[in-house]
Amino acid sequence: MIRIKALSKSFRTSPTARAQGLGMVWSVFSRRPSHQRVQAVRNVELTALDGQITGLLGANGAGKTTTLRMLAGLIAPDSGTIQLDEIDIVARPADGLARMGILSDARGLYPRLTARENIVYFARLHGMSRDAANARAATLADLLEMKPLLERRTAGFSQGERMKTALARALVHDPSHIVLDEPTNGLDVLATRALRDILRHLRTGAGGGKCIVISTHIMQEVEKLCDTVVVVAEGRTVATGTVDELLARTSRSDFEDAFVELAFTGVSQ
Amino acid sequence: MNLVSTTWQVLRKEVLDALRDRRTMLVVLLSAVLMGPLVLVALSALIAGYEARAENREVLIDGLAHAPTLVNFLQRQTYTVRPAPADYARALRDSTLFDAVLRIDVDFEMTLRNGELSRIEVISDSANRRASASQSQLMRLLSAFNQERANLTLAQRGVAPDLQRVIRIEERDLAGAQTRALQITGMLPFFVIMAVLYGALNAALDTTAGERERGSLEPLLMNPAPRMAIVIGKWGAVASVASLIACLSCLSFLPAQWLLRSESLQALFQYGPREALLFVVVLLPFAAALSAVLMAVAIRCRSFKEAQANSSLVMLAVSLLPLVAVFNPDGDSRWQSWVPALAQHSLMTRVLKGEGLGIEQWLIPLAVELLLTVGGLWLVGRMLRHAAVK
Repeated sequence: MIRIKALSKSFRTSPTARAQGLGMVWSVFSRRPSHQRVQAVRNVELTALDGQITGLLGANGAGKTTTLRMLAGLIAPDSGTIQLDEIDIVARPADGLARMGILSDARGLYPRLTARENIVYFARLHGMSRDAANARAATLADLLEMKPLLERRTAGFSQGERMKTALARALVHDPSHIVLDEPTNGLDVLATRALRDILRHLRTGAGGGKCIVISTHIMQEVEKLCDTVVVVAEGRTVATGTVDELLARTSRSDFEDAFVELAFTGVSQ
Repeated sequence: MNLVSTTWQVLRKEVLDALRDRRTMLVVLLSAVLMGPLVLVALSALIAGYEARAENREVLIDGLAHAPTLVNFLQRQTYTVRPAPADYARALRDSTLFDAVLRIDVDFEMTLRNGELSRIEVISDSANRRASASQSQLMRLLSAFNQERANLTLAQRGVAPDLQRVIRIEERDLAGAQTRALQITGMLPFFVIMAVLYGALNAALDTTAGERERGSLEPLLMNPAPRMAIVIGKWGAVASVASLIACLSCLSFLPAQWLLRSESLQALFQYGPREALLFVVVLLPFAAALSAVLMAVAIRCRSFKEAQANSSLVMLAVSLLPLVAVFNPDGDSRWQSWVPALAQHSLMTRVLKGEGLGIEQWLIPLAVELLLTVGGLWLVGRMLRHAAVK
């Protein structure tokens, strides 16, 4: 289970055009602030249960990726708590990471290593033995239907092949919690359907009853996959519930209309 | 998680990754490892050419028949005298003839016998390097001829020739064989330092800025592995690759000396297994420090290209600092031990000179290198998380 409460985070923006180059030197002397702060996340609340797929739905720039990065312990929140089972992520990020498989926005592979070497490298960093890592790579290759890819270098991989390798890499330590940031980005229809099937399998008891969180801005994705939806807009959680609940709440029949109403009219209220 | 085993996993992967980059490795091997020996061999061929010319005791004369006395003198100095080719002026200008030519007037012998001032022209072309070299040899011969004639004239008039000389000049060269050899082997330290630099550069940039550019740094940090283990593992890999190139470069000069064409150069080239070993000992900590510094510079950059631009400052410093030793007329000063690259250069120069090395000369550069390594790694560790998300 993942529980996020009252999470907030602000960043310093890049220097303004005025404060670049010689202007930067000037700004030091004039003591004028050359940076502005931007509030990426204001108040995100999220509860993701085991054996469920929870969707983090929001427009571009709504704060999804920042939230997931805080969940991964990459950046520390300004305020708020992140709880994974009994672990406080902010205080003990490494313990949290040991139980989480994260497919982040950046999913770069090592092009000179084969798919298997990419996967096994991460397994070893999780402290798995060589034999266990190889066995797990084989299992995942079966699950993700990527057996022929295993011994190929990833340099020439297609988007879908990269995605499968990155997913296998994230799942290599058989984590109880899976966090995916826009997983269908750049995938074609068949690959997307295959990914959905895999996630549905992982949610079931046979698949391990995982706690799955996916962030997305695609309505279809949420409708077809998610048990619970958390709608975020401008860094805030504006609505939580099942797809049907959200439709009922807005009295709409089309989920896209419901989302627009929740995300863009809800914020100003 | 075990710090040591994680470090080892990262190191292994990064070394494998660097070695798989065949094309880059090949370029580094060619430029860093083969370059030095090739230059050395080319230089030896050039010197051998000069030596062959010096041994070839031959004088070309235009108007050979007009100067029997001079010819007699030259033959007594064991020189062979040959008439100059007809179009020697053009040949000299076109650099097809490599000997200066003596031109003698028709009335040379007569003016000489009458005790009047006779004229000889030494014809050369200052743009023709090798002809210029033989010109100075001719000048020495003519000056000796002049002296002999003058002495004879004085002796005939009953004047002791020594009256003309108030001092006797004797030359004594104090340089030992190894110091003389340094004129040729002096460029070795420079070559091996550059080899270390090129060895470290690509790996250092690839494991930091390259990793950011590929978007693989963020997933890497989403492992529970301790951050410092990742940093040290990466640094260990870069330093290993740089050390490997350093060792290869030091060893590459060993076979090069068998290829030397000039025998005197071969005798002067004092670079054996002992020198190679000492070079490696000097270079290994340098490779470690340089790797850390390059990584610290590159981790701030978002792309490989940006990192290359930024690291050019480090490259410039490493390639220019050793030149201080070349241009500094004061010789080795104590402050030089504190300057990286320069200190290694002077250490290796001392090795080549066959001079003993004091403990201080080792310890100061080592301390500086340790400081650079720790400082660089600390910076990389501090920047790593920030770099992953930006």
